[in-house]
Amino acid sequence: MTAGGIAAAKGAEGLRKSAWKRTALIWLSRYGTILGLLLMILFFSINAPGIFLSRANFLNILSQASLTAIIASGLTCTLVVGEFDLSIGYVASFVGLIVTGLMAYEGLPIWLSIVGALALGAGIGILNGLLVTKVRINAVISTLGVGTMLTGLGFTYSAFPIATGIPRAFTNISLGRLVFGMPNPVIIMVVVLLALWVILNKTDIGQKMQAVGSNMEAARLSGIRVDRIKIFAFAVAGFCAAMTGTLLSSLLGSGTLAAADGYLLDAFAAVFLGSATLREGEFHIVGTLVGVLILAVGFNGLSIFGAPTHFQPIFKGGILILAVGMSALARRYAASA
Amino acid sequence: MMSPSAPAAWMRIRGITKSFAGELALDHADLSIERGKVHGLVGANGAGKSTLIRCLAGVTTPDEGEVAVNGEILPLGSPRASERAGLAFIHQELNLVPHFSALQNMLLGAPKVTRLGIIDWRRSGVAARAAAERIGIRFPLETRVCELSVAQRWLVMIGKALARDASMIAMDEPTASLSEPESEQLFAIIRDLSAQGVAILYVSHRLEEVLQLCDRITVLRDGRVVSEAQRGALDKKGLVQAIIGHAVRAPDERGRFAADRRRQPIFSARRIVWKHAVKDVSLDVYEGEVLALGGLVGAGRTEFAHLVAGLNQPDSGEFALEGRRFNPASVADAVRAGVALAPEERRSQGVMLQRSVGFNINIATLEKLRNVAGLPFVSGAKAKRQADRLIVRLRIKTAGADAKIAGLSGGNQQKALIARWLGAGVKLLILDEPSRGVDVGAREEIHDAIRALARSGVGILVISSDVEELALLADRVLVMHEGRISGELAGAEITEARIIELSYHDVGEARRQQGDAA
Repeated sequence: MTAGGIAAAKGAEGLRKSAWKRTALIWLSRYGTILGLLLMILFFSINAPGIFLSRANFLNILSQASLTAIIASGLTCTLVVGEFDLSIGYVASFVGLIVTGLMAYEGLPIWLSIVGALALGAGIGILNGLLVTKVRINAVISTLGVGTMLTGLGFTYSAFPIATGIPRAFTNISLGRLVFGMPNPVIIMVVVLLALWVILNKTDIGQKMQAVGSNMEAARLSGIRVDRIKIFAFAVAGFCAAMTGTLLSSLLGSGTLAAADGYLLDAFAAVFLGSATLREGEFHIVGTLVGVLILAVGFNGLSIFGAPTHFQPIFKGGILILAVGMSALARRYAASA
Repeated sequence: MMSPSAPAAWMRIRGITKSFAGELALDHADLSIERGKVHGLVGANGAGKSTLIRCLAGVTTPDEGEVAVNGEILPLGSPRASERAGLAFIHQELNLVPHFSALQNMLLGAPKVTRLGIIDWRRSGVAARAAAERIGIRFPLETRVCELSVAQRWLVMIGKALARDASMIAMDEPTASLSEPESEQLFAIIRDLSAQGVAILYVSHRLEEVLQLCDRITVLRDGRVVSEAQRGALDKKGLVQAIIGHAVRAPDERGRFAADRRRQPIFSARRIVWKHAVKDVSLDVYEGEVLALGGLVGAGRTEFAHLVAGLNQPDSGEFALEGRRFNPASVADAVRAGVALAPEERRSQGVMLQRSVGFNINIATLEKLRNVAGLPFVSGAKAKRQADRLIVRLRIKTAGADAKIAGLSGGNQQKALIARWLGAGVKLLILDEPSRGVDVGAREEIHDAIRALARSGVGILVISSDVEELALLADRVLVMHEGRISGELAGAEITEARIIELSYHDVGEARRQQGDAA
């Protein structure tokens, strides 16, 4: 073989290699999070078979995941339209407090309290949306402002946890197992995720949301009322936050100030983990669910292995940066390879 | 500091050539510039004026050629080297920091006198203040730029150039945003500067101004220098001819559609006024014809289109669609009424790049694609059918409706945008620069699609700065100049030469002159 021939052969081999590498990297950037989730489950199953690998523990994981999944799927909607909602954690806390107050202080029936609570959440979402679209305050600022105000309003409403006068039936909502022996929050999560998945993928408002998120000017010029679509997305986020807040109060059996504030970070972590799943940097419901499960399985495993609770935030932050960073790097290498 | 009798040909530009993506923007351009003279640089859109300026400024590196300043070769592609050689550039956008004072802006990027790292504004400002005096700046230099008028901002830019000892100042369309008295003031300053030995390179579309002000005029066409004339050697007619060139394209044999103008127009506009951009525009779009708006960039065509499409609302005047009053308060209103705009900026305002071809086609017609009319569910099958049908009809080259639109060529993306509105059944479609950045073959296909739409009864209004495109595509052309319609061409009258001539035809001034004569 001549020198030129060898070089050519080497070149072709290099090309094959880089093509293979590229495919692998694209695959990794899409399925990396799911792979990570499966590896985590595998690891815990092998190392703690008796405790981790049981029906009771799986139901426990799903119950824990359900509240995060509901609030995170609402957040997904605001991110789909290209906005931000930093108020959701505070909305959940505030509504969780109000819903118990409506029953304990105002003596309203359970169903009316819950309807009121969800409407309140959606209303706060609409307010966020109006501030962002009509007053044109940056979403980060307006939702942070609204959220902060809610903290104070909650304190004004009841500085002490509302623990007495809450009907047993309300706490039973989250403790009961109405369908297939599944905890109710899991059922509610499935319904919410399914509904939002259908809205985003199968309805015209969902298509419009995606259009607004991909190119706002193009969407406007296509005759889409961009402001309304955004307000709708914020309303969904508020509604979902209110649902998580209500379920949390039911689970705790009390309305407590700032009880759900921590869901903000969990939701963001889950949604961004999800955006690195299956699609390239897009926010979508299936991805969000995967993100929530990664967090829930991780927390569960850590607690089984007796890791101190302060390991949880380290895990949460670490896995978020790892997953999103890995997929971003993989995408970039795939593009340049 | 400078003598008015500086040596001739202070700057020599030789054989500057630059191509972008295979297209020659500058083709061996030669030019010499003398100190103490005002040099005019004119040419149609895309003739290569800005590329030449950018090459001199060191922002763009030419493929070939050299520039010598004062006998020394200027390193090309280095803004710093250009500045050091005494070249200053004032672009139309005036790169000023609005919240800095005039003085701060004049000193921006210049070496400043510091004491222990703290800027001594008083001592740093000496050269700037001297420059301000030279051009007669009367407002305090401590005024923030955002509080200054456009004319005053120009003075700041000129002062900035002088404070750095600029020997040549290039000005791009300086009077575009100036009132008449302000322009006169600027001309006086330019004459002063040139008397002091500064060379001025004056780029403008306003030919009267150029003829009046410049000692020498260079005409660029298709990247080549086609004419060099001393003051007085050219009149406006000669200048227009030089800009167009003699090789005017023969009128199209295709024949142009003559709409029946006794019928009710699909769309009409009456005395539309908006800010200073659209001044009294009236027009009618008839069934079957391709009506085009020609004119120079900045003539107010896009602004007018935005009013029709509901992005902005006119200050006065009225629109009618199929004989009914039509006042869109938003784009959504306009679309609902049947008026749509395919925008100039295809990538940033037209397509949703990460989405599929089908998504992009169907996004304006989702309500029509529902499973059941009253319920908000979009039928995937109906959506696919509509997308497939339109892809075939417009011959969009794509792997399928599910392929990402980002992978398509510019021409095919544009066809997808036309498909979007074809599916929506619009009554009036406005296409702003429909074939910008598209190759010749695709352009023809786009033109065919537009013509077919027009013949099928959709009102068509095309905006294009490409004179050749107007001559090829339009059945009737309205030419705009500075917010007014300066003329109408139909049938065999539609030639590139006539369009360009009208593009430079100042209706406002013609009216004023008529008024004077009366």
